[in-house]
Amino acid sequence: MMFKLNLSILLLLLCSVNTMAQDPRLLLNKVLVKLSQAKNYKAEINISVDLPYIKMMPINTKLYFKQKDKFKIDTKSIAILPKQGFLQLNMLLTDTANYTAIQQNQQVLNGVKTSLINLLPNNDTGDIVLAKLWVDAKNQVIIKSQLTTKSSGTIITEYTYGLQLAYGLPDVIKFIVDVKKFKIPKVLAGDLNTTKSKKVEKSSGEIVVILKNYEVNKGIPDSTFQ
Amino acid sequence: MLLKSTYNELIKIAYKPRSFIGIGGLIIIISIVLFAMKVDGDLYISLITGQFEQSLTFEGTILNGNLIAFIIIQMLIIHVPLLIAFVTGDLVSGESAMGTIRLLLTKPVSRSTILLSKFLASCVYTLVVILCLVFMSFVLGKILFGTGDLMVLKSDGLIIFQEGDINWRFFYGFAIAFLSLITVATLALTLSCFSENSIGPIVATMGIILLFTIIGSMDVPIFDNIRPFLFTTHMAAWRYFFDDPLNTTNILYSVAILVIHIVVLLAIAFYKFNKKDILS
Repeated sequence: MMFKLNLSILLLLLCSVNTMAQDPRLLLNKVLVKLSQAKNYKAEINISVDLPYIKMMPINTKLYFKQKDKFKIDTKSIAILPKQGFLQLNMLLTDTANYTAIQQNQQVLNGVKTSLINLLPNNDTGDIVLAKLWVDAKNQVIIKSQLTTKSSGTIITEYTYGLQLAYGLPDVIKFIVDVKKFKIPKVLAGDLNTTKSKKVEKSSGEIVVILKNYEVNKGIPDSTFQ
Repeated sequence: MLLKSTYNELIKIAYKPRSFIGIGGLIIIISIVLFAMKVDGDLYISLITGQFEQSLTFEGTILNGNLIAFIIIQMLIIHVPLLIAFVTGDLVSGESAMGTIRLLLTKPVSRSTILLSKFLASCVYTLVVILCLVFMSFVLGKILFGTGDLMVLKSDGLIIFQEGDINWRFFYGFAIAFLSLITVATLALTLSCFSENSIGPIVATMGIILLFTIIGSMDVPIFDNIRPFLFTTHMAAWRYFFDDPLNTTNILYSVAILVIHIVVLLAIAFYKFNKKDILS
C-alpha cells in the first residue's frame, strides 16, 4: 500500500516536472502573472555606465512604470540606457502569439537553478531575432536574458532580486551591451590638440541600474509620462 | 603715471569705431548660433549621439546652456583673435600713421611706460571681449536653454560632466582663453611697433594665426616637432579643463608656452619701441 502511494507521488512529481519541461509557456505565464501584479511602480535608481568611448559619473534619478507600457526616467541629468532595455522583453513575453518558446536545458546561475528557454519570434518583421531566458522556476522570475536584435546587436541582462521579489521586480539590473566603434574627425570634434588616444579594445560594456525604495501600486497619474 | 596713461589708451580705444566692430560682430555671430540651436539644436545633438543610438538611448536634456556655451567657445576661439588683432594691431602703428606718436612721446613719460600702458589697455579690451563672450554664450545660453549636464564631444568618444562639476571648468577655460587672446594681442602690438600703418600688423597677425592654425591642424608627422611650440596650438588649451581625468601637465605646459610668447613678444616690442625713429 505504502509502495503504491510513494509511486503515485513520484509519478505525479515526474508528470508535473515533465509538463513544465515540455511547456515553457506555462512557466513564462507564471513569470508574466507575477510581473503583472505590479500595475504601477516608481523607484529611485542609480545608473552606472562603464562603456567604451563614453565616460560619465553614476547618476541618481527616478523611474516610473505603469502597465502596460508607460515608462519614464525622470532626470535632468543625462542618463544612458540600452535601447532594448526595460520594456522590450516584457512586451515580447506579453504577446504570447508572437513567439515560439522552446525549453532548453537547466543551468545553475550564481547558485540559482534556472530553466533556459529560447523564444523565437514567429515573424521576422520585429527587431528581436532571438531571446534566451534563464528563468528561476521556483521564484518565477527571470534571472538572465540575452536578446539578439537586428538593430542593437546582443544585449545580455542580469537581474538580482531582493525586497520586491514578490512582484518580480529586481533590485539590480546589469546590462551588457555591444557598442560600435566611435570615431569622428578631430576637426569636427574640435579637440585638435588631442594626442593619439589609447586604442579601445572592448566592444561591449556594462550599464548597471540599482533600484531601491520601490513604491508599488500606489498609483501614478498618466500625466507623469507626458 | 602708468594708470593715467593706461586710462588715456583706453579712452582712445573706446573712441575708435573699430573697437566696437569686434564686439558687435561677436554679438551678431553668437545670436545667430543661439537662434540656430534653438530651432535645429536637436539635429545637431543627433549628429553627436547618432553613432551610439543603435544600441543606446540618451535620456535627459542634452541640449542645454552648458552645451551651447561649449559649442560657441569652440566655434569662436579661432575667430575672436582676429577681432582682438583688429584693435591691438593699431595701437602703435595707428599713432604712427596719424602722426600723433610724436605728440605722445613728447610727454614726460618713458617710452616703456607708454608701451606698457598700451599693453595693459589691450589686456582690458581683451577682457571686455571675453566677458562679452561669457555673457552671450554662458549666461544667455543658460537663460535660453536652461542648465544641465554637459556632453563633450571628443574625436574618440563622449565625456559627460555632471552639472555641479561644470562651472569651475568653464571659469578656468575662460581664463586660459583670456591668456591665449592676450598672446594674440601682444603679437599684434609687437608687429604694430614695426609698422607705420594699421593694416600691416593686423593682416600680419591674421596671417600668422592662420598659418600656425593650419600647421597645427594638419596631421602630418613633419610638423610634430613644431606643433607643441606654436601658440595657436595652445589656444585650444581651454579644452583641457573638459578632459577626464584632468591633465595638469598639459595645462601647465600650455600656460608656460603662452606666457613665454607674451614675455618674448613684449621684450621685442619694448626694444623696438624704445629704438623707434619718430622723426622721419
